[in-house]
Formats: sequence, C-alpha cells, structure tokens
Amino acid sequence: MRRREFLRAGAGAGLIALLPPGAIERALADAPRAGQAGRFLSAHELETLRALVDRLIPGPPEDPDPGGVQMLVPEAIDAFLGAFTFDPPLIHAGGPFSDRNGHTPDDFAHFRPLDKHAELGWRIRLEGSKGMPEREFAGPVTGLQEIYKAGLKSLDDASPGGSFAALPSPAQESVMSGDQTGFVSQAFNDALNAMYGPPEYRLDKQLGGWTYIGWGDNQPRGHTPEEVSGAGGAGERRAGPEIVDATRALLPHLAARWRR
Amino acid sequence: MRHGRDVVIVGSGAGGSAAAWALVHAGYHVTILEKGRNLLPGIGTKAGPRTHFGNDEVKAIRNYENPDELLEPRTSRTQAEAAQGVDRSFVGDVNGLPTTVGGGTVHWDAKTPRFWKQDFKTLSTHGPVPGANMADWPLAYEELAPFYDEVEHVIGCQGDVKQIPKFVLDQAPRAKQFPMPPGPEMYGGSLLAEGARSIGLNPYRVSQAVHSQPWGFGQACNNCGFCSGFGCPINARGGALSFLHEALLKGAKLKTRCFVHRVRTDRAGKKAVGVDYLDVHGRKRHQRADIVILAPSAIETARLLLLSKLAGGSGQLGRNLMFHNFTAGIAQFSEDVHAWRGPSTTITIDDFCIPEKGSAAKAAGLPYLKGGICETGGTLLPFDEMGVYAGPPNSWGVAHKNLMRTSPLRVHMAGLSMVGEDLPQLANRVDLDPKIRDVYGFPVARITYSLHNHELAASHWFGAKIADLCKAAPGALDGTYIPLGEVAAGGGDLGALAAGAATTAHIMGTARMGHDPKKSVCDAHGRVHGLKNLYLGDGSVFVSAGGFNPSLTIMSLSLRMARHVAATH
Repeated sequence: MRRREFLRAGAGAGLIALLPPGAIERALADAPRAGQAGRFLSAHELETLRALVDRLIPGPPEDPDPGGVQMLVPEAIDAFLGAFTFDPPLIHAGGPFSDRNGHTPDDFAHFRPLDKHAELGWRIRLEGSKGMPEREFAGPVTGLQEIYKAGLKSLDDASPGGSFAALPSPAQESVMSGDQTGFVSQAFNDALNAMYGPPEYRLDKQLGGWTYIGWGDNQPRGHTPEEVSGAGGAGERRAGPEIVDATRALLPHLAARWRR
Repeated sequence: MRHGRDVVIVGSGAGGSAAAWALVHAGYHVTILEKGRNLLPGIGTKAGPRTHFGNDEVKAIRNYENPDELLEPRTSRTQAEAAQGVDRSFVGDVNGLPTTVGGGTVHWDAKTPRFWKQDFKTLSTHGPVPGANMADWPLAYEELAPFYDEVEHVIGCQGDVKQIPKFVLDQAPRAKQFPMPPGPEMYGGSLLAEGARSIGLNPYRVSQAVHSQPWGFGQACNNCGFCSGFGCPINARGGALSFLHEALLKGAKLKTRCFVHRVRTDRAGKKAVGVDYLDVHGRKRHQRADIVILAPSAIETARLLLLSKLAGGSGQLGRNLMFHNFTAGIAQFSEDVHAWRGPSTTITIDDFCIPEKGSAAKAAGLPYLKGGICETGGTLLPFDEMGVYAGPPNSWGVAHKNLMRTSPLRVHMAGLSMVGEDLPQLANRVDLDPKIRDVYGFPVARITYSLHNHELAASHWFGAKIADLCKAAPGALDGTYIPLGEVAAGGGDLGALAAGAATTAHIMGTARMGHDPKKSVCDAHGRVHGLKNLYLGDGSVFVSAGGFNPSLTIMSLSLRMARHVAATH
C-alpha cells in the first residue's frame, strides 16, 4: 500500500486516446518498442525506466533467469501510469480465473470498471490533485505520474553526461544508491509488482518471475488434499542451513509485513 | 411483538448482516446502508453471488475491496505523542477493513474460535491490572453460546469437537458438533503441531468458516491458498455474505455507496429517529427508522457517535480501543513445506490463552500474562515475500532474485501467529481528527494507541515457547519468534503504529457494554444507554479482546442483539 507521505504537491500530464474494452492482446501488439513513447512516459523517459528496471531486476547475461526488461516490466509501469488511457482503466484485473491451466476465457484480461468514487481515488493517486478542490479535501497530493517524471529526471540529473541510460551498469547503481528521494524504492516496488504479479497487468502472457520462483499458479483447480497435506512441494526444492543466517537480518522487515 | 417497523442498519459487514438476517426474518422492514460498493453481482438474487475475486495479489494491494486511504484516510499517534501535544504522526491507512458489501468477511481468513468463559469475566476472575481499564462483560459465555451455535451453522464452520482439548471445552463448552468436518490439514502446520506436542502443548484443528463441503451458495474450498486478505474466487467461505444473501432474498434492502454521517434523535434526545447520509451521487439524504443499528466496525462506530454528539455520557466513548498484539513464530526447513497451500492455517494452539501467573508476570509487575490462540502453519505469498527481501536499503538486483529463487521465507518457512490479548486502556482511543477530513468532508477518525506493558511482556514470555515449538518441528533448521508489537513500537522506518497494531484487522472496544451507564456506552444487548432504540452491532461493544479472532463473537453478539430487538420493540 502506498502511503500518503510519498505523495507530494505537483502536477500530472495529458492522456492519449482510450482503448476499447477487452483490447489487451491488441495492446500487447502495440507495446512501445525501443525509441517509442509509452502510454504515459516519453520515449526518453521509457528508455531511462528500462535502464533502471534492468538494474532492479536484471536478466541475462548477468542473471540466468529473465529480467524485468524481458518481461515488459517497464511497459507495465508505463501502462499503470497511463491506466486511464484504457477503458476500463488498467487498475483491477477481472476474475475469478485467468486462462492459465485450461480455463477459458481469460477473465483476468477483462479489467473491472471503477465507480465514480473509486475513480476519484485512482485519479488522485496517479494524476495528483492538481489544485482541484474536489481532490484536495485532505491537502495536495502529488500523483505517481509526476513522481515518475521527476524521479526519472533526477536519475539523469545525477548522471555524468546527463543520461542515466547511457551509463555503464556500475555507474547506474552508484546513482541509484545515492537516491535520496525514495523514487528508486518506489520504482522497485512497482517493478516487483509487475514482475511477480499476474501477467495480465503486463498486458502479457509470459509468466514473468513465476518461472523461476517455483510458483504454482494452480488456479482454477487449487490443490488436492494430497498436495495440501503431503510432503513434497514443487520440485522437491532443498535448502541448506545457510538460509537461517541469510534471513536473520530480514526479520524486522518480516515483522512489518506480517499479516494480522 | 409489533411487526412492520422500520430498521436501518449502518454497515453490511459481519454484525450488520447478522442483525439484518434476524430482523427481516422477524418481519421487520430492514434497510442496510453500506459505504462501499457491491463487488458481488447477483447477491440477494436466486442466481446467487458471482465474484470477480481471483488469485491476484495486485488487485489485493490496489484497494479493490479496501477503502482508498487517499479518499478515506485515518490518522494515528502514540500515547506519548498525544501527551506531547502531537496532533498526529501518520495519515493514511490505519486498520482499514474492506469497505464493500460484506465488509471485512469478504476477505477474512475465517478463523472462528469462541471466546472463553474467562474473557467475559476477566476482572472478577483474574483481578485488576495496573494501567488497564479492566471490566467484566455484562453477560456470560452461557448466554452467548446458543448464538455461537447458530452462527456457526449459518456461515458453515468446519471443525471437530472430538479433537478439541478438554481445557478448551471447559472454557468454551459446546452443545453440538460442527456443521461439517475439517478439510485437509496443511503440511507445514502438521510439522509445527508435532513440534508443539513434543513440548507438551495441545495443537488441534481450528474451527473456521471455510467450507469443507458445499454450503449455502458456496462451493467446497479447493485450497487455492489465497485466503487471508483475498476475496474467495469460488465463494467457499462463509461470513457476512451468508447472512446478507438470505436477508436480501427475504426482502431486506441494500443501498451501496451511502455514507452515514449522523444519527438523528428526537428533541428530547431519548430516541433515534433515523440517520443522515450522503448517497451515491453525493446528495444529502435521510433514512427514517424506528430502530437504528450501527455496525460499521468499532472505529467508525465511535466516529459516527462522536459526529452525532451521542453516547458521550460515560466518558468511555471512543476509549478502550483494542486490537490484538500478534507475535510471530517462524520455523525454517530444508524441504519445501508449501505452507501456502490451503486456507491460511488449519491448526490452532490454545495453551497460551491460559494466564501465566508465575515469575514472568511478577517480573513485569503484573498479576498475569495472557497470550492468545496460535494460527499455526502458514507462510508468505510472493508479494509479501518480495517485499520483505526488498526491505533493506538498495536490496535490488541479483541478490533479490537469489532470495526469490531460494525462498527462505516462503517455500522453506512455516509460521504461526499468536493472536495476543490486548488489554483495554482509557488512553487507547478514537476521536475526531481536528484537521484532516475525508472525501465526504467530515473529520476522520484519529487513533491514539500504545501497547500496555502486559502485551510486550506476554509477547516475549509466550514467544520463547513459540520459538521452542518451532525448533522442535520435525526437520526444522531453526525456529524463532518476532515480537511484532515491539518492533512496531521501536520506531524508525519499520516502526510506527502503522507497522504494528494499526495493521490488524481485529478492531474492538470504543463503545464497551456494561450494566452501569456511568462506566459503559451500551447495555448487555448493545443498546446505547439513554436511547431507547439505538443499538450497536459490531466489535465496538467488546469489553475485553480475549486472545481470539473476533468476528464469530461479533456476529453472535449482533444476532443476540437483534433477537432482543425483535422481542422488545
């Protein structure tokens, strides 16, 4: 859940033509290629975001498994920022089932409409309050669109030569480590949501991060009693005692995320 | 009984729906005003509810069923901050429960333990606690037991009386078997249960409103693993919707996106005459009623009564706000224990509900330490897992992917949560924020909260035993416990109230019941003192929190209240 404190005063940007309902396959075909503008970000901003995502969730050759760029994570973030260029807006996937594992059709691909109340919240979150009285009942809010534009610019501003994307990877990581605005953390969270969430939010059919974390995605059938009660999870994955030490420092973070 | 009287109920969650069901069956004209929207098309029709909930972690974090904290924020601060004159230290999501038709039970994990006899008579059984506002409930377990039976049947609880330990049945005796047997037991929980037994504890199959066989309009659970915090894709879980669907079929009216901001009374202030609300179009409306029942959940009930300038006579309104102080236990294993397959958890351990009155309590300067039930054997889903690994600064890159692949805190973890008792304190309270308003233009609820020393001491005392049982689980590499409340109270990025108690879905107190109008807000049937026909039907009426998930008790109290209304109005 994003907290209000991340959101500061500012302005958003314009919209492009609304897509008709159920157009996810077409949207995928229309996904911005290198050098093209996205649904919200400019071509250069999208190029910078791709470079950032490649450091956040790297792929080959640095890592054996697919990275965020291969899995269209930058395009997913851009589509989220431009959620209201889709109709229904690209906020909540449909349900109850995707077309994975044999169910038809792909309910997830049919995004759910927002009502007027919910739309107001999402417009504030994405576009910001923009000085509109009906959006500033609790004070001004900076939208994610502005946060991304400013954050991506701040990466360029901190980069020798003025282009984050043009830097070699170690220099990019140095710039990211120096980020004091919280933008890199915000982008990391959004990138993870796209990488490890259902593919429909990436306007995609690839399984993203699920391919290498042994995620079952067993919907719609769920699990048999034997799969619930018996030993032997997916792939009989074994770990050594080192996982205990590897997670000790993470326990406070586990505490903050514990469901209660 | 005079039939044909008009009842308005604020909130369609656990308490409101149970009351609606009972009153519409008793012949009343029931109108339910719900602030959220309806995400279950078909509810209240013969076709039955359909759902768009799915195994979708993105939807769950994007306020599909939850209130949008940008539109309906709450604020919070600690007791120490309040004493220093700090108006608030946080604005945003503070204990937000689903704001939708069905309320919190739309995505609850449906654990349905009963409170114990001792919970209703805490003060007289165990004595006072320094710094806590202990009191007995104005009713005993035996008075609520028939309603527990009835609710368990309507919402479809699984369980097995024969497996329940004697010390539990002594405290929470049962007249009958559960309506359906337990479903498959989750593997990770079985390992922890074995560890628990080896150190002398008494794990058993938890009762839960997860259907092991088709029930009502729902299917049998298929153990998809998306339970706590997710709407069910196949309606395999009972709750408010079990009552609400039948109430609507029977003629109750449901109006959505209606925000109630005031309870109106007659000139003498002795009788409620209806409620004022803003409808879906933002128009000011009034709903006249002969009986007014408030069930928007404990924080919003306090807020609504404060906005209405009602029920303030005792000085207790808004106070005695209780959550639960959770203590986490984790065991890590070499093998994949797939502890996410199933309905969150299927094992409970109730031994820590027995007060510890020995040296640990004395060392803390307390007469006793009480814990709570342990929801045993769950783990993280990928989103919480990735968030934990992403917690430390600059934790991106291959290192994060390595953790996701190795998965020490999902694939190789089975955890448990102790639902630790939270003692009532006068200073833990809800009031109206002096500055922040919601999208409707009304002051939001401000939560002032700090743990009592009891909660901190109990978390460590029982936590050590939790760590022992985790270590004793077959194949466990190690086990430990995390005092979640203490981490939250520690401040910093991981601290703050918003990381601790304010994230629980267990919200109780703020309008406690009691015989004495000078010391309580409502009577033993939830009727607000001094008003003939204003009733409370949610967790606000709780006098103590027990160590038990509260929703079954909320529904049972509300059902009892509604039957009383039908018998007396």
